[in-house]
Amino acid sequence: MEYSEFNPIHLDAIREVVNIGAGNAATALSEMLGKPVDMGVPNVELVSIYDISERFGPEEDFVAAIYTHAEGAFPCNLIFIQDEDAAQGLVDAMFVARMNTDGREFPPEMRDSALGELGNIVLSSFLNAVSRMIGSDSLSISVPGVAHDMLGAILEFVASIFAQSGELALLVNTTLQLEQDGSDLKGNLMMVPDPGALETLLSKLGVL
Amino acid sequence: MMEKAQHVGMADIVLVKHPGKMVSLGLGSCIGLVIYDESTKLAAMAHIMLPESRGGKDNTKPGKFADTAVPTLIDMLVKAGAKREKFKAKMAGGSQMFNVPGSKSGFLAVGARNAEETEKRLKQSGIKLVASDTGGNRGRSVEFSTEDWILVVKTLGTGKQGI
Repeated sequence: MEYSEFNPIHLDAIREVVNIGAGNAATALSEMLGKPVDMGVPNVELVSIYDISERFGPEEDFVAAIYTHAEGAFPCNLIFIQDEDAAQGLVDAMFVARMNTDGREFPPEMRDSALGELGNIVLSSFLNAVSRMIGSDSLSISVPGVAHDMLGAILEFVASIFAQSGELALLVNTTLQLEQDGSDLKGNLMMVPDPGALETLLSKLGVL
Repeated sequence: MMEKAQHVGMADIVLVKHPGKMVSLGLGSCIGLVIYDESTKLAAMAHIMLPESRGGKDNTKPGKFADTAVPTLIDMLVKAGAKREKFKAKMAGGSQMFNVPGSKSGFLAVGARNAEETEKRLKQSGIKLVASDTGGNRGRSVEFSTEDWILVVKTLGTGKQGI
């Protein structure tokens, strides 16, 4: 099925999946940090793959991204992208909640592993909710990979996944946000299904 | 005066005549490939996303695939008056942004396959690859100027380097 063939009912169903998945992810993050976490309105839209790398900001912006690949009934790529400062703020909040220190005294590798764990909790909570929705317990996710790099380089990887099947991408994302010391720490959660996986999802949801 | 750099977006191909400058920002797994001829002062850059077109239908963007980008760059340069026997190439990119132990998704390594396929196509076309900075796990921005025929590669953290 071509991305251009997805109709509003399909897109609504996907939006609902993201809504429930991200709700679960926000709850998990909130429990871990002991703070309220807000969730944005899910965005589900068809875009040209060539517009993806500039869509969320300048290509050379410094971001932290956590990536995992889900295997099983709904194989997909899940990516949580934050400005580097926001990521470090989230790691601070995680250390404060767990160890009563902002953890700035710890070496970067240790903070990175905390960030990976944070991403793991967000992304696996998202996936667990999706799993329940489609009545599958066979979804499992890989160990998360963490990158600190240019926004464009991360999004280009996303665009390349879609590029395997054509020129269109079904961009599915939402934001998670919490307030920390007066500033908003925001992360962008993206779901990029492997080619063919959305059809499985939609048919399990009974709309295809 | 040097002209403003022309932006080479994903799957784009851009050709410049001296004085010209081309830039591609935030290359991850993609490749920034430049083929140029100093004698006629022409250069062209492609922003390659995937290794092979597999004879696919979307050939409106030949810059998208390594196997279609290389011959297209050659054709464009030759048509613009460049001398094929003088062609040289430089490239950068093809990194693996995420390292995920045990993942069954082979797609994470697409950057390495992009670099491999580009190199192979250049070799088959008899074009000398004079400089290359590929692989690793860092994103890169590249800029190529006909002023000095140098490909400047920038990464976050380690700065700029000309190749």
